[in-house]
Amino acid sequence: MARSTLSRRTFLRGVFGGAAVGVGLPLLDVMSPPFARAEMAGPTRFGIWFWGNGVRREHFFPKPTQTGAVWDMPEELAPLADVRPYVSVLSGLEIKTATHPHHSGMTGILTGARYEQVGTTRDTIVTTFAQKSLDQVAADVLCTRTPFRSLEVGICQFRGTDEGTTFQHLSHNGPNNVNPSEYSPQNLFQRLFGAIPGPEKNLARRSILDGVGAQIQSLQHQVSQHDRRRLDQHLTSIREIERRLSQLAGQCKAPAMPGDFPDREGKEQIAEKNRAMSDLLAVALACDLTRSFSVMFSSAGSGVVVWQAGAVNGLHQTCHDEPSPQPIVHRAVVFTMQQLAYFLGRLRDTPEGDSNLLERCAILGTTELSEGNMHTNDEFPVLLLGRGGGKLKGGIHYRSPNRENTTNALLTVLRAAGLPLPTGFGYGPGRSDQSISELET
Amino acid sequence: MQTPGSQTKSRVDWSWKMPKRWLAQGHKLKVSVGASLKLGLVLLPLSSLSCSSGIEPGVVVPTVTAGPARLSRLTKGQYLQTLTSLLGPGLQLPTNLEDDTYLHGYTSVAASELTISPRAAEQFESAAMDLAEQIFTDKTRRTELVGCTPETALRDSECVLTFLRRFGLRTFRRPLAEDELALFAELYENTSKLLGDKWLGLQYVVAALLQSPHFLFRVERGELEPRSSDELPSENSTPYRLRYSCYEMASRLSYLLWETMPDDELLRAAGAGELCGPQGEQGLTTQAMRMLAMPQAEGGIGRFFREFLKLNRLDTLSKDTKLFPQLTPTLRAAMGTEIVRSALQTALGDADIRDLLTSPKTFVNKELATLYGLPDAAKLGSELQPVELPSDGPRAGILGTAGFLAIGAHQTVTSPTLRGRFIRENLLCQDIPPPPPGVATSLMPPASGEKTTLRQRLTQHREAPQCRGCHQLMDPLGLTLENFDAIGAFREKENEQPIDASVDLDGQQLVGARALGQALHDHPRLGPCVARQLYRYATGHLETEAELDLVGQLGVRLQRQQYRFKSLLLALLTSEGFRYASVDTDVAMDQNSLQTTRAAAAKGGN
Repeated sequence: MARSTLSRRTFLRGVFGGAAVGVGLPLLDVMSPPFARAEMAGPTRFGIWFWGNGVRREHFFPKPTQTGAVWDMPEELAPLADVRPYVSVLSGLEIKTATHPHHSGMTGILTGARYEQVGTTRDTIVTTFAQKSLDQVAADVLCTRTPFRSLEVGICQFRGTDEGTTFQHLSHNGPNNVNPSEYSPQNLFQRLFGAIPGPEKNLARRSILDGVGAQIQSLQHQVSQHDRRRLDQHLTSIREIERRLSQLAGQCKAPAMPGDFPDREGKEQIAEKNRAMSDLLAVALACDLTRSFSVMFSSAGSGVVVWQAGAVNGLHQTCHDEPSPQPIVHRAVVFTMQQLAYFLGRLRDTPEGDSNLLERCAILGTTELSEGNMHTNDEFPVLLLGRGGGKLKGGIHYRSPNRENTTNALLTVLRAAGLPLPTGFGYGPGRSDQSISELET
Repeated sequence: MQTPGSQTKSRVDWSWKMPKRWLAQGHKLKVSVGASLKLGLVLLPLSSLSCSSGIEPGVVVPTVTAGPARLSRLTKGQYLQTLTSLLGPGLQLPTNLEDDTYLHGYTSVAASELTISPRAAEQFESAAMDLAEQIFTDKTRRTELVGCTPETALRDSECVLTFLRRFGLRTFRRPLAEDELALFAELYENTSKLLGDKWLGLQYVVAALLQSPHFLFRVERGELEPRSSDELPSENSTPYRLRYSCYEMASRLSYLLWETMPDDELLRAAGAGELCGPQGEQGLTTQAMRMLAMPQAEGGIGRFFREFLKLNRLDTLSKDTKLFPQLTPTLRAAMGTEIVRSALQTALGDADIRDLLTSPKTFVNKELATLYGLPDAAKLGSELQPVELPSDGPRAGILGTAGFLAIGAHQTVTSPTLRGRFIRENLLCQDIPPPPPGVATSLMPPASGEKTTLRQRLTQHREAPQCRGCHQLMDPLGLTLENFDAIGAFREKENEQPIDASVDLDGQQLVGARALGQALHDHPRLGPCVARQLYRYATGHLETEAELDLVGQLGVRLQRQQYRFKSLLLALLTSEGFRYASVDTDVAMDQNSLQTTRAAAAKGGN
């Protein structure tokens, strides 16, 4: 195919012009993403797509008798029909770490460990992640050379409570060491495609960063071990900026600036924001700006008002107030899965080599509990999305015969992303040494 | 094996006492060494300080009632205020900074626990570059900042060194050490040569200072202070404790009271040794009184009340636009401002802080006055004015404010549970545990056609055995407020049913917001709770076991001093908890630095 000079601007104008309408053009070879040539097998990317407040089991999980490749899509998964070959559903899994509403599910599914309590002189629960989250586990291996170690994106406006970082953030590098999600498409755009300084100024900036790094190291000798670890993170953060500045400018030409998504008549423009963020993230992945990402569609216990589902209150409250069978909660989950479907569709429609980006992704789709009303941790909703560069079969319903550990799924998705993890993954009761072979090729 | 949320989820009954504390099993306790044992601890052998255990018998460290010293990251608001104080007004400040995380209710607590994430580091880097560029591309501005023209591009430029000392002192909030001066002077020289311009060299030095951990964090390490022998608990005790240095105290004071860096007078006092050591109490009091009388105090103390009373929840308030068309963004902002101004007026005006619960004096603009149904509401403008609410009206104090009432409500209906919980957790310091797992938490809907009040529907909460324990603590308090709808407007009826706002509180009959306000005003837990909340905010950590007595004493003092907030504040900032730090056993103190400090201590230095 002859290379032409199709500008990125053309591609993305339709999407970023403001209140986004419709789907942008697929990303074509002519844009020169790094893995354009057919003979190149692009790297596998790892991702997490998370939504808060669980599901309605009877509408989310396929029938227990329909396992394998043939199963009817339940209502809450129906929005994913178009990308079904890339979607596997797991039922019957259980969180094996401590039982506590929201907190244990969140930390269990995102770290394979228990949570860490913060402070002991109060009678309420405040926690953080005891271990780094899965996206950072993957980043350790996959992202040593990409400009960004990882990217964290948030969609619904944050409407949560302060019960520690577990309720406010998704990605953690360790206890109380968070990677906050970016909620503004414009800020994300700026971060990914902002102007790169010319060579001398670039060098001067790196000198500054070098000096900052030296000051941090010097300070580390003078503070407690607790603070030394915090400064470690600061130092790592500085080094990453240095690394990015010292790499040659990428092949990603800046697209048009995305629009703003203010509330309309008090209603949050969730779908519009989701489209803009999904599009940006797809470009970032195609351009190899990172190989590990997380989308926090809504936070654990989020109070997002899903007006599209007819909700008049925050979703967390609705889960607790709406009497069974909770039609609003159900419709909110359907709406959420529609947003996931859009994102997966973008990845599938982004060609890469002789295939597409979604083929090369291993993504964990999950939430922090099974059903919000009862705060349950069994029958835990887990989706494995993408095909992990060929390691995942896709399109499978797997039902655990014995309430197995959710970490089995985590091990499966990490291995699919290219982390061998020969001895398994997880901590304490969350530990697993067995992936789910029915999902693997 | 206990799991949290099961057994120890205490069976709280209907009384004013605190639920039994429960500890999650198997989790690291984040308490400092000095806090975990009342009597004293053992100092690590000096040579082997690589791990946090290893206690040698016979050597005792003096205990101090304080938390450990911590680096405290500037919060978003503090960072922006500091930039204005440091660089002057009129600059384009960054707009992409990440929001603060809250911990135990306060951004200051999170600031001393959390890290600078990769994205935050990027934000600070680009902000620093941009701000420096703004200053140095404006000739007037750069001359004003630097005060001279660099005469040479070399690192020994008189102008540059003088500037570094002066500007560095203000940026780091303490004098620069010689090696730090050398680092920045070298950066100046290298950059000037690389970019071929001395002013650019200076510009990059300013950008570097603004990215330093010494700017972005309040670096608080403490210094060893000698103690006289009659202060020591035993003859084995080491004759020093860890106190914050004078400059560290200046920052602690200014960020607490003003939300920004120390001004020149405070820095002078720090340099003169007035803020630490034996003269410290007097010096701190003098400076605090000066600072509390200035308008910047509304920034710092206002921030405390904003977080104490959870007013950030107003930012994400979502109400049904058809039912509540009057809730505009300006009304929402006014709701928060009303509460903060009332609180400041009481706190800084040296009044009884309990007036917050009962005072009919408040601040309203046209929108608020209309919501409150006040006469002459139409005559007001958009600015808030002081007003006295009618003495026979239903509202007084914070419980009658639209802000409090709207936060404790959903999109369309009120939430007595949320309002009651707010009172318990924030005003009485009684934390309510979450619902036990496996319990269905939805209310039965009213039978179709039946018109019921929320009070009637909520009886389930107080009858079901698994729900009763906690809900009995919360719901009745909220039910007395049912005459105020989901945005705080007064109503006689709900769903065409008359509202019953009476409740039996431990034998006491209460009806309505004013009666509840009075009951809380008289409640013995209120004063100690305010003291505890202020302590958390000011010290930036959750009080440790060892500090509980001190916090209790501060509460008692507040009561004895006619509940004057200022006196609580002064007592707090001159207390051991604010001026000293407990010794972390894993501090990397090596032999040399300890000996040097001993020598200095022996000389009686400060």
